[in-house]
Amino acid sequence: MKHIRESWAEPYKIKMVELLKMTTAAQRKKAMQEAGYNTFLLKSEDVYIDLLTDSGTSAMSDRQWAGMMMGDEAYAGSRNFYHLEEVVKDVYGYKYLIPTHQGRGAENILSKILIKKGDIIPGNMYFTTTRLHQELAGGKFEDIIIDEAHDPENEFAFKGNVDLNKLEKLIKKHGAKKIPYVSIATSVNMAGGQPISMQNLKAIRALTKKHGIRIIHDMTRVAENAFFIQQKEKGQGHKTVKQLVKEICSYTDGATMSAKKDALVNIGGFLAVNEWDVFEEARNMVVVYEGLHTYGGLAGRDMEAMAIGIGESVSDDHIRARVGQVIYLGEKMIEYDVPIVKPIGGHGIFVDAKKFLPHIPQTQYPAQTLAAEIYLDSGVRTMERGVVSAGRKANGENYFPKLELVRFTIPRRVYTQAHMDVIAESAARVFERRKKILGMKMVYEPKYLRFFQARFAKL
Amino acid sequence: MDSFHPHDKNHFYRAAGTAILHYVYLEKYHQAALLSFTAPFPLSSHPHYSHYHHHCMKTIIEPFRIKSVEPIYFNTAEARQLILEKAFYNPFLIHSEDVLIDLLTDSGTSAMSSNQWAGIMQGDESYAGSPSFFRFEKAVKDITGLPLVIPTHQGRASEKILFSIMGGKGKYFVSNTLFDTTRANIEFSGAEGVDMICEEGRYPTVPAPFKGNMDTVALQKFIDEKGAEHIPLCILTVTNNSGGGQPVSMQNIREVHAICKAHAIPLFIDACRFAENAWFIKLREPGYADTPVPEIVRELFSYADGCTMSAKKDAFANIGGFLAMHNEQLAQQCRNLLVITEGFPTYGGLAGRDLEAIAIGLHEVMDEHYLQYRIRSIEYLTNKLIAAGVPVMQPAGGHAVYLDAKGFLPHIPVDQYPGQALVGALYVHGGIRGVEIGSLMFGKYDEQHQLVPAALELVRLAIPRRVYTQSHIDYVSEVIIEVFNKRNEIEGLTILEESPILRHFTVKLSPIKK
Repeated sequence: MKHIRESWAEPYKIKMVELLKMTTAAQRKKAMQEAGYNTFLLKSEDVYIDLLTDSGTSAMSDRQWAGMMMGDEAYAGSRNFYHLEEVVKDVYGYKYLIPTHQGRGAENILSKILIKKGDIIPGNMYFTTTRLHQELAGGKFEDIIIDEAHDPENEFAFKGNVDLNKLEKLIKKHGAKKIPYVSIATSVNMAGGQPISMQNLKAIRALTKKHGIRIIHDMTRVAENAFFIQQKEKGQGHKTVKQLVKEICSYTDGATMSAKKDALVNIGGFLAVNEWDVFEEARNMVVVYEGLHTYGGLAGRDMEAMAIGIGESVSDDHIRARVGQVIYLGEKMIEYDVPIVKPIGGHGIFVDAKKFLPHIPQTQYPAQTLAAEIYLDSGVRTMERGVVSAGRKANGENYFPKLELVRFTIPRRVYTQAHMDVIAESAARVFERRKKILGMKMVYEPKYLRFFQARFAKL
Repeated sequence: MDSFHPHDKNHFYRAAGTAILHYVYLEKYHQAALLSFTAPFPLSSHPHYSHYHHHCMKTIIEPFRIKSVEPIYFNTAEARQLILEKAFYNPFLIHSEDVLIDLLTDSGTSAMSSNQWAGIMQGDESYAGSPSFFRFEKAVKDITGLPLVIPTHQGRASEKILFSIMGGKGKYFVSNTLFDTTRANIEFSGAEGVDMICEEGRYPTVPAPFKGNMDTVALQKFIDEKGAEHIPLCILTVTNNSGGGQPVSMQNIREVHAICKAHAIPLFIDACRFAENAWFIKLREPGYADTPVPEIVRELFSYADGCTMSAKKDAFANIGGFLAMHNEQLAQQCRNLLVITEGFPTYGGLAGRDLEAIAIGLHEVMDEHYLQYRIRSIEYLTNKLIAAGVPVMQPAGGHAVYLDAKGFLPHIPVDQYPGQALVGALYVHGGIRGVEIGSLMFGKYDEQHQLVPAALELVRLAIPRRVYTQSHIDYVSEVIIEVFNKRNEIEGLTILEESPILRHFTVKLSPIKK
């Protein structure tokens, strides 16, 4: 196994900066109250370091900006589309491409095409928008991730793996016909950015092939997953990230991609499939929801930035620095005794709010509370990934996920090591006064994806 | 080119001594104008209209200069013939690099200003609460007066969200004319779209000042027949795209508003080209000649309960759109759906930088020098064609020239898609890409699978904003006139393959050999 930490220094220098605003404790208190204790509702101007998400928040390279200037904004047949198509084929290996304005656009179309009412969609842990689209199309999500994934203390290297017994049981119980596809995420977000191993993926492929079931790849962080395979999986260390990414994709039949993560763009996504029939149907549908199939609701320049970003995202040097920075922050937090999900994942640090605030029951939203406290302390904005994000079941009951986490997501190429130090110190300060922190109640709850717009009050 | 008039310099930005390209509306323009406007035409005799014309020079120049250029691609007619065959006679399937002058659409194809590009560089890409959003929100509020603003990745997403809340089986959406994606989204929800264009809007070659007006008598009758409870929404498309980019008068908007209000039917504006419409009101409607465009715009929106907008048209953006409205409950429902398919309510599926570009573009478009240049350049091409006897929609609309394919190709029956045939001929002859707006786009099949043709067979040559120069436009008119002179050689088309919704985007055709 290689040393991940060794010299993760950035393989780039800074070409353009964006100024930040510093706030006082009193300003932050007022801003947090106005936002109903939901970090999503804060104005970004009131935020010092924004770790809400790594989605769409990357710094683009000068080459990507040059690509932005090369946008061909023709409604049909833009050359940027053909460039993107070629890059997707080259880097990921999927045959047919449909661009979409972002990942959820691709999920929406795919779910509507493949899922019939009553279908079962097994997957390695739910993701908010993915599961919602599956449910809206009439399907039911079934979690087949290994049990270790639900234990934040367990240090198994591939906590994104699928429990093949769980999958096999589901196939037996419902029959392969009821399962339009298995939904496999690389770098499982809700488990803390945990990777799936190549070996596990091969085994899923073998099992699904036997039953004629597709694998659809949620590939938004595939390069980060590939890096963990390179670093930690036996017999894989000699391959480049680029080779590993292509191999991962080769075990799947299609993918939805939010290019706002790995691919280093601020907007964009795609659906990629190997089956002509699915492609044809998707091409007809994309016009209704997104835009003509050669732009999919994106400006030409954004397709160009994506094509260039995809190339950059699979460079070994880039990904080593990217994950290295996340690990640097995680190790600092561990030094300060802050309880975090282990092992450290690829795109952020996930703080275990149950352990951080053991006196607050899950019905009083410990992770939501902690995210608010971190902001009040330092102006660092994080996100709840626990009972609020999990939402309600079809019968109206709350899901109570085992993991109650606060996500410190690190945007790509944006913040420096000094920023990381400030973040870790803030988490440590809040940890020191944790016993004085009280829980919250929800005072407004939207129907879908409630975590975005819900409002809370302090108890 | 020495046609710059120094005594008029206050009217234009930094024209003298710069590298700006001039639009030269020389005597040619005036001859053409005389030819076209000698018919009994209410506009030219209108006192405000002539008042206005006295104040502008013969030469209309762009109120901008060029900051960045993009190469275009030359090809031979033989090569283009092969390309067209490979694209199954569908312009949507042609690569843009194989097109010389791309008049497929004015949507998303504008040249942004240096101010907009500066906004692009300033975009704040925060997922939630970006200042770019707040600037965008303020611009929309200030301009429309509508308080609740929801960004979307483009216009059709706004429609999709609105209609899935309001639509459903047994419901009717009434309109002056619905555009293709608008209609598709309504029908997708199970509801029906009903067009009620005014009488004069039905005759392409008869000029009238406001051919986009809604037929208010038909509207009242329809409400009486079906009952207001089955009509969730009335949509006024300004300007009326499918009907030739023709404007709607303020008077008509007022009347439609009154009828809708009496029956508690909400009125939404499909606002893609609101500024072009406002300019026509200023130019043609009594009482508005001295009203500044922003005030006209504000009044226009004051009659509406909300609007859908594709910012890819009059906001000069390459991507983006929005919904704006008064009703808080409806807005909350829209936001609930927005997060599923578009994104969080403060970015709606757009990069922060695009929100900035829209905010800036919305203000730029209301500049009267720009609007004067814009509308006159469409008129310039239209009048050249009229002078050569080419059948075009009259008077000139706001964003495109519409060729009357039925009049152009009388030997091709509607079920052989004369509009699409003409699109192919213009491409092969001159590398110009237009789009059919006729029975291919809007035709339906009856129960016997017979084509129910659209009312008009048009070819739209949409002019992208601030992109092409006068010499490009002169070239376009030459190509059209040459094609017109050998129109008898053009063959009709038959469909090989089509999809059930929005077929024109992906349809495959082949020529019917004589």
